[in-house]
Formats: sequence, structure tokens, C-alpha cells
Amino acid sequence: MKKRTRGQKIFTGFNYLLLGVFGFITFYPFWYVLVASLNTGRDFAKGGVYFLPREFTLQNYQMAFQDERIFTSLGISVSKTLLGTVISLLAVALLAYALSIKTLPGRTGITFFFFFTTLFSGGMIPYYMQLRTLGLTNSFWLYIWPAVYSFFNLVLMRSNFNSIPEELRESAHLDGAGDVRVLFQIYLPLSKPILATLALLIGVGHWNDWFTGAYYQSVQQLKPASTVLQQLLSEATANQTVKLGQETTLGSMTSYTSQSLQMAFVMILTMPIVAVYPFLQKYYVKGMMIGSVKG
Amino acid sequence: MVRNPSAAISKKKEYDYVNKSLRKRIWEHKVLYLFILPLIVWLLIFCYQPMYGATLAFKDFKYNLGIMGSPWVGFKHFEKFINSPEFWIVIKNTLIISLMKLAISFPAPILLALLLNEVRAAKFKRVIQTMSYLPNFVSWVVVVQILTVIFSPYGGVYNNLRNMMGLESQFVMGTKESFYPIVILSDIWKNAGWNSIIYLSALTSISVELYEAAEIDGAGRLKSTWYITLPGIKETIGIMFLFAVGNILNAGYDQILLLKQPANVQISEILDTYILNTGLNYGRFEYATAIGLFKSLFSISLMFIANLVCKKTMEVSLW
Repeated sequence: MKKRTRGQKIFTGFNYLLLGVFGFITFYPFWYVLVASLNTGRDFAKGGVYFLPREFTLQNYQMAFQDERIFTSLGISVSKTLLGTVISLLAVALLAYALSIKTLPGRTGITFFFFFTTLFSGGMIPYYMQLRTLGLTNSFWLYIWPAVYSFFNLVLMRSNFNSIPEELRESAHLDGAGDVRVLFQIYLPLSKPILATLALLIGVGHWNDWFTGAYYQSVQQLKPASTVLQQLLSEATANQTVKLGQETTLGSMTSYTSQSLQMAFVMILTMPIVAVYPFLQKYYVKGMMIGSVKG
Repeated sequence: MVRNPSAAISKKKEYDYVNKSLRKRIWEHKVLYLFILPLIVWLLIFCYQPMYGATLAFKDFKYNLGIMGSPWVGFKHFEKFINSPEFWIVIKNTLIISLMKLAISFPAPILLALLLNEVRAAKFKRVIQTMSYLPNFVSWVVVVQILTVIFSPYGGVYNNLRNMMGLESQFVMGTKESFYPIVILSDIWKNAGWNSIIYLSALTSISVELYEAAEIDGAGRLKSTWYITLPGIKETIGIMFLFAVGNILNAGYDQILLLKQPANVQISEILDTYILNTGLNYGRFEYATAIGLFKSLFSISLMFIANLVCKKTMEVSLW
């Protein structure tokens, strides 16, 4: 930039200000909840706590982990996220590898067979009935099997495999390596960025999905953490006035409230995400770009 | 990405390839079919079988007979839905929420990308971007919980500020008046940052020379945004718009489900929440299936029409 007119300077200043405000608005609510979760509930309800805890405590977290329902649901969430992510990645890698090979007879037809499901579906009710027929609605596997595949993941993975030179695969075949070895020893090690992106997106999807647990799962002990958080939320709104009256008497004895406990729960669900997503930013931004060009 | 032309395969190989019989070629790729097979089975079970299950919309469901054996009743359930008093309410609510999102939430990430694109300080830009992605990674349940505490009449920051300005505390969540603003603002808050990624990447592909030329010709910032930047990302905007149109009957059901409360149910009951309510809570499987099928077919036709229009006017097409 050589010279800047006054108008441009004003614009630049205004732009930085606007984006700064935007950044604050996106980030502050998380900070606010963190502060609320580290403050005694009784004190927080008096108001005026904005940036730092006034009466610091870890009791909210203690109570959250001691709560039978919350603790069980966290176990379910962790196991379904780990298992679901691994199985999904494996499935999408196998499928994308096969569909990335141009000499495969019937490739276009098979791809369309997979693509068609993004255009049209049977709807939520027939889907639910199928889950019920399969006996998944009272099983842990409800979270794993129906979530194995998504067309978006296939597109990302396949366009990544397409960018690997074919000669690599052909020379490996000449050396006597089968497709299984080519995939696991050549293709996957070359695909770490996309694997990281997909692992993040699939994992976050599993961790956050409250809907499956709330509408399709019939066993309370098998509900994941995000569903239990939703249950707490709707219980709280259902008896708002009654509950708040009770809380003040309860609060005078225990100093935590159902709200402060929920804030701790929210932070327990948010922390793992905050700990991971900034470090993979370079990868998923690139992944999203490929997805948008191809998809 | 451009597909590798068959130039990679040598002439000799091409010759072999064409001359092998189909059966032999399939046999050569048998391992690959084994890779695909589990997911074909998966697709049949979780996608195609429920598509068959959608025929329930034309039947009266009898538990003992199953979907296949239940008797056909034609368009009975569709007629019932169209003639019910809920029909117009639900369609209207869905369309109002969708169109508001299309008008207000849809341009937000474009604006954000344009503003971010003007930032020269790389570090500042990166920090803002990283922050703006965070809400996308948390669940709607978390977002609604956060909203609840912010707007809480008991210590929530919103009402604290109101009190400081001498105003009365207000009960925001669950009142009818605040439903639309909360739906739209929380939608922007959660998704604008993430959706701006696509526009930002489209912006990087615009050649710098165009801007330089425009500057020499005396075009200001606004002018070059209008005549260079926006036309440069026209195609991306068009494609995102087509997807948004295809989703117009969805209106974001998990957000709405969480914000729906008795006080706002008149304006918050959308097609998907109605389907879930009638189907799962009241067990009217055939009726809810019919509404779902109606919605699905309507969405597809809408997308085809929008695609046709965009193809004619903007030369943008999904297929």
C-alpha cells in the first residue's frame, strides 16, 4: 500500500473495531459460562459477576461428577465418540479408496448409488421404525452403526486420494503389495491432514449429537451427555418459577444451584473441543475448501 | 479438482484394459468390491429400506402385518394433513423462519468474509477467525444453555445491564416476542464464522491485478468490492444459495426443537417438529410419514426449480 486516503484509514479503523466486537461477541459467552461455573451458584444469582469469579469454587464440578446421571452419560459419550470415530474413518477410507480407482468396473453407478441418498430419504419416521426393527433403539450400537457413513466424508476422502499420484499405487502393485497394504501403508500415511480433519468433524458430531439420544434411544442409562444436558434444560424450563423458589432455600444450605451445576456440565462438554479445534485449524480450513469445490 | 486424464496410463495398458473381458476386470478388482460391500449393505439397511418404508404414507399401519402387509389407503393421510388446521400454521411457520434465515443469516458469512479479507494484520485475522469457529463446534444444546444463563432474570448479564440502565428485568427465553430474534441471532452467532471459510477461500482466487488495475482507474474500496470482489465469488454464493433453498423446509430442526416452548408454540411449530410430535409422541406413524414424504418431494422439486433459474440467470448449477 502506497498512500492511503483518509476515507481508507477511517474504513480500516472501523473494520478492525467491527471485527473486534464480533470476536468478543462470539467468545465472551463461553468465558461468561466458565466464570459462572467457577462461582458459587448462590452468589452468582445475585448478579454482577461478569469477567472473573467473585466467590471462587470448584464445587459445581464436584457435584456434576458426583451426579449419577451426568457421570454415566459422560462415559457413554466418551465411548461412542472414540468407537464411532474409528469405525467411521475406517469405513470411509475403504470406500473412498475403492471409488478413487478409475479402472474399477461400475464405479460411476456405485457412486451414484451412494450419492442418491443425499437427494432423497425416507424421512424420520420410517428411519426410526427401521432402527426399532433392528433392535437398536435400546442399544448402545444405536450411536455407532447408523452414523458410520456420510456422503460429505466420502467426497473429502476421495478427492484427497485422487490427488495421490497413481504411479505410486501401480509400482507398489508391481512389487507385489495388495490393495490392503497400499491403502494402509501408502495412502493413509499420506493423508494425515484429511484424517485429522475428518476425525475432528466426525468426533465432534458424535460428541454433540443430542437428538439421537433424545428421540431414538429408549434406555435412560444409555443416553449420552448432550442428551442429558438437554433433559436438564427442559426440566429447568418446565418448572421455572417453582424451581427458582426452591433454589433459594436449597442454596442457603449448599451454595450451588441447578443452574451453576449445569454451567459446570456445559464447560465439561465444551472443554475437550476447545482443547482440540484450534490446533487442527489449518487442516479443516483446507478440508472445507476441497469439500466446497468438489461437493 | 480436475480428474487425472488417462494420460497417466500408458498406451500399452490402455490396450490391455479395453481388451480384457468384463468378468476378468471385475475379478481383478475383487478386493475393492470387498471394501465397498459392507457399506452397500449399510446403505440398503439405513437408507434404502427406510425409503421403502415411506410407502407407509399410503397405508394404514397394522402392527401385526408390518409395513409390507398393511392395507393401501391411497392419499388419505395427505388429504388429512392438507385439510387439517395445523397445515397452514406449520407451513407458514417453517417458511417464515427459513426466509428470515435466508434474508439475514445467509448474507452474514459473506459480509464477515469481506471484512476479514480487508484485514492486513495476519495475527489479528487469525485470532478472530479461530474465535469465530468455536460456536460451530459446540452443540445446539450448549448454545441454548448459554443463552438461558445470559438472559436469566437471576444474575444473567443481560438483565444486569438492563437494571443498570434503570430498566425492569425481562424474561426473554420462551416468550413469543423474543422467539424470532433469538432464532436468527443465535443462528448467525453459531454459523457465520464457519460458513465464512468457503467465501474466504473463494476470495483468495480473485487475481490481485484486477484490484491494482481498478485502483489505477480510480476506483475506491466500495467500488472495487462491488465490481470485482462480489462478481468474483458470485458462483460460490450461487451454490450456497441453492443448498439453502433445498433446505428451506428444514429451518434447522434441532435449534427449533430446543427453543420451542409452550409460550411460543404457535410460531415455533415447524414441519419437522410437527412430524416428530405426531409420529413419535402420538404414534401416528402413517400420518407423520406422509408429511415427511410431502416435505421431501417438495424440497427436491424446489431445488430443481432453483437450479434451473440459477442456470439461466447466473450460469451457476449444482449438476
